[in-house]
Amino acid sequence: MLDLSALSAREVRDGIAAGEFSAREAAESAYARIEALDGDVHAFLQLTPELAFAAAERVDAARAAGEDPPPLAGVPVGIKDNMNLIGTRTTCGSRILGNYKSVYDCTAVRRLLDAGALPIGKCNMDEFAFGSSTENSAYGPTRNPWDLERVPGGSSGGSAASVAAGMVTLSLGSDTGGSIRQPGALTGTVGLKPTYGRVSRYGVVAFGSSLDQIGPFGTSVADVALALDAIAGADTMDATSSPEPVERYSAAVGLGVQGLRVGIVRDMPGVPDTDGCLNEIAHVVDRAAETFAALGAEVGDVTLPSARHGLAAYYIIGPAEASSNLARFDGIRYGVRAEDPTDVLDLYMRSRAEGFGPETIRRIMLGTYALSAGYYDAYYGQAQKARTRIIEDFRAAFEHYDVLLTPTTPEVAFRFGEKAADPYMMYLNDVYTIPVNLAGNCAVSVPAGLCSSTGMPMGLQLIGDYFAESTLLRAAAAYEQAVHFDPVPPLVRSLVGAKGGE
Amino acid sequence: MPKDRLAEVLERYEAVIGLEIHTEVTATNTKMFCGCPVAFGGEPNTRVCPVCLGMPGALPVPNEAAIEWTLLAGLATNCDIALWSQFHRKQYFYPDMPKDYQISQYDLPFASGGALEVEVDGEGVAQRIDFGGAVAAVGPEAHPEDGGYRATIGITRIHLEEDTGKMIHVGGSEGRIAGATHSLVDFNRAGTPLMELVSEPDIRTPEEARRFAQKLRSIWLALGVSDCSMEEGSMRVDGNVSIRPRGETELGTKSEVKNMNSFKALHDALAYEIVRQAELLDTGGRVVQETRHWDAGARRTSALRSKEEAHDYRYFPEPDMVPFRFEPAWIASLAEKLPELPDARRERYTTDFDLPKHDASMLSADFALACYFEDAVALAGVDRAKQIANWMLGELAALLNAEAIEIGDTRVTPAMLAEMVGLIEEGAISGKQAKEVFADMAATGDAPGAIVAARGMKQVSDTDAIESVVHGVLEANPNEVASYRAGKTGVMGFFVGAVMREMRGQGNPQVINEVLRRMLGG
Repeated sequence: MLDLSALSAREVRDGIAAGEFSAREAAESAYARIEALDGDVHAFLQLTPELAFAAAERVDAARAAGEDPPPLAGVPVGIKDNMNLIGTRTTCGSRILGNYKSVYDCTAVRRLLDAGALPIGKCNMDEFAFGSSTENSAYGPTRNPWDLERVPGGSSGGSAASVAAGMVTLSLGSDTGGSIRQPGALTGTVGLKPTYGRVSRYGVVAFGSSLDQIGPFGTSVADVALALDAIAGADTMDATSSPEPVERYSAAVGLGVQGLRVGIVRDMPGVPDTDGCLNEIAHVVDRAAETFAALGAEVGDVTLPSARHGLAAYYIIGPAEASSNLARFDGIRYGVRAEDPTDVLDLYMRSRAEGFGPETIRRIMLGTYALSAGYYDAYYGQAQKARTRIIEDFRAAFEHYDVLLTPTTPEVAFRFGEKAADPYMMYLNDVYTIPVNLAGNCAVSVPAGLCSSTGMPMGLQLIGDYFAESTLLRAAAAYEQAVHFDPVPPLVRSLVGAKGGE
Repeated sequence: MPKDRLAEVLERYEAVIGLEIHTEVTATNTKMFCGCPVAFGGEPNTRVCPVCLGMPGALPVPNEAAIEWTLLAGLATNCDIALWSQFHRKQYFYPDMPKDYQISQYDLPFASGGALEVEVDGEGVAQRIDFGGAVAAVGPEAHPEDGGYRATIGITRIHLEEDTGKMIHVGGSEGRIAGATHSLVDFNRAGTPLMELVSEPDIRTPEEARRFAQKLRSIWLALGVSDCSMEEGSMRVDGNVSIRPRGETELGTKSEVKNMNSFKALHDALAYEIVRQAELLDTGGRVVQETRHWDAGARRTSALRSKEEAHDYRYFPEPDMVPFRFEPAWIASLAEKLPELPDARRERYTTDFDLPKHDASMLSADFALACYFEDAVALAGVDRAKQIANWMLGELAALLNAEAIEIGDTRVTPAMLAEMVGLIEEGAISGKQAKEVFADMAATGDAPGAIVAARGMKQVSDTDAIESVVHGVLEANPNEVASYRAGKTGVMGFFVGAVMREMRGQGNPQVINEVLRRMLGG
């Protein structure tokens, strides 16, 4: 069978346009990969071959009728399981939505499919996107294709792993505090969090409404730019989606960074060195600065003095919004309902106690507490003030710079169970990504090479100004080209070989 | 409860009443945060979508028209409009609320700080005993022309929120939750834009409360913001009431009264509650803060919840929407869109149409009635306004009352009423005939001209024709003619009746009288 897993999204689309292979074959190739690998990786919670082959047939029929294939024609995609798509269950990695069938389509998913993409399946995730390891999925964890003993990051761990393992060309994740960029860094993939409001949130099950943003994973900056082309833009169904005009982001890739102003964030919060990689990760940023300087960018240092309050503010605002957003999972209208309730309160309490996992319950309790009478000002009110300061920090930084650099994470992929007992150590994984969600800027994680002591991927985070995705991706592509990262994990190569792949 | 019991209680206690009035913005056609239609009833759960069902991932998009209507409502009630406003989430679990939070407003309502003046006259005046020394600024102002008075009632705020669904409890008595085996939920109403107006506790009597609510309804109807049906629940009034001994400044413990489905129910429930609280205090008891349910059948309130739950709604700014900023110039342009409001209309009716104050008040208070009246006057002419008003407040009101219908549902159109008044004024039919014509119009919807023609009802005013009938009647009744001429003028009625019978009711009574008097005298 044809193995198309090494092709970029554009190559898939162009191959179909040229008649080298069909969209049907692209879908078959993806499912063959999944067959070979997903028993080990567990990136998918649900495969949707009916939808994928129906989409492939439409692409092939249109091409047969002489139409020019759309930009993502025949491109296999994975979709995080918190995004609605009719014909699928949308479980959010939770027992409480184990039987929930989508009744409408998420706008971003719809737009991706309208561009010709093939929906291969729904990807595993931390329950309701609470987590940084995908260990909080009610349906078992996803494993990192670089090392099956290690986590893929989270919460979009399944989306990241599906791309890293070559099962799909692109996937969609959602990023509330780093849930695209962190797993991107940990799996050696490119993960983009667009500016808040750039992509409609309609149809992604809300975690933190003021923080959530849908974005793509790919093996290259060019691929995520193509995906952004498809999903970006205002949506009448999301009042926080922006009317800001959409650019052709894929056109920015390859324009170079001559004259671009690149700021290195020098005062990101200090963290303990848990795996001996911290220095090497810090060094990623210095080497990146040299790279940008060599490519003709102006490089300088910048500080974000309030960013150190980001984690604390985030763990008030995120859970506060989540506690509210998750109230609707009450067993009344859909989802899992406790059996034989004695009254409505019993129905609520037992449905929720039985349906939610421990991290979800922790976040609901945190958020409920932070919003309670008498505590609101001390917690939620203070957190909002910190958020305002962080916004001001970024605004000031972008007066002088076009792109800011930080590591994506303070460490590489860790082993299962390593942090499960200590939520704070887990939360620290997102310490560099969280301030960006609080400010609402766009940011992307690009593979920065492998850590010498573990052999695991490291990520560079590039942060852009509001709605400056073109500039951001331009810088990311230039860096990517200079780094020459090979996105195929050696393990995947050997697994596919061992299982009779081509 | 005897009427004088309330007056007696109010001599010793002062009642402090504040109202919370929820009005569905039915003018918008679509729900507050989605495109589902706003309508009463319907097959359960048919006017719903992922947004108003709170499905996972669905997002609210604010209905700008509903916000504009709310701002207009604020302007019409003398409120300040917030230049900066936003929605909050009010959080509590209940099965009629799909998201388990209600999108409402908290510390930044769209409108605040307004006031309305209410007029109390008639029997309602007896409920208020304290206007003697009161000042005009706030509080009642003596209004001696008709023994009534005016009171200014402050409006704390008007905010916008989404309505809940409806619960139907099955298996218990009268659909109450007590004893129910299970409950059904209908989300057709969920997400309907709902304006909540909170009054200041400036109301002192049940009659003032009723007048305030009625006044508000007439303003909402004039704006067109809502159909304001208390029966169908598109206007719902809750009352907070406490009492304190006269002279006391500290507030008493209040109870909240719900489930008043008419203005009369509002009045009676508050009156009941005031007397109930007084009886408690008089017998050494104390009032418990609680929510009470008005039972219109039993004419009493009963405790809805024995213990007031301590709610912590955990309000926080709705993150799915951006805050609203309104330019003062835009608000000014909105104010220019305000239609004529009931007070101004009443003034115009007394000055332009020369209507008595009572008629003007009655016709201007109800927007539909006012529109009907003005349509009819436009066709009949200003000099017939009083006649139009008489027919509307007489026959037409009686008809609406008897058939329990709204003015828009009657077959008698303003054009038909104008035509009928014209026929009377021209002498074509008598007032008595007109009553028959009116009844016929109401039953058939036929135009008065057609009815008059079909019934051969034309009034005969021709003197020659009447003289010949009178001649015949006088000849046939020589004894009565003799008595009249002997001075028993009381038999005049007999002659008129006889002539009218001969003419099958079509003779012009004035002409008949005239001719009879002349011929009998001769």
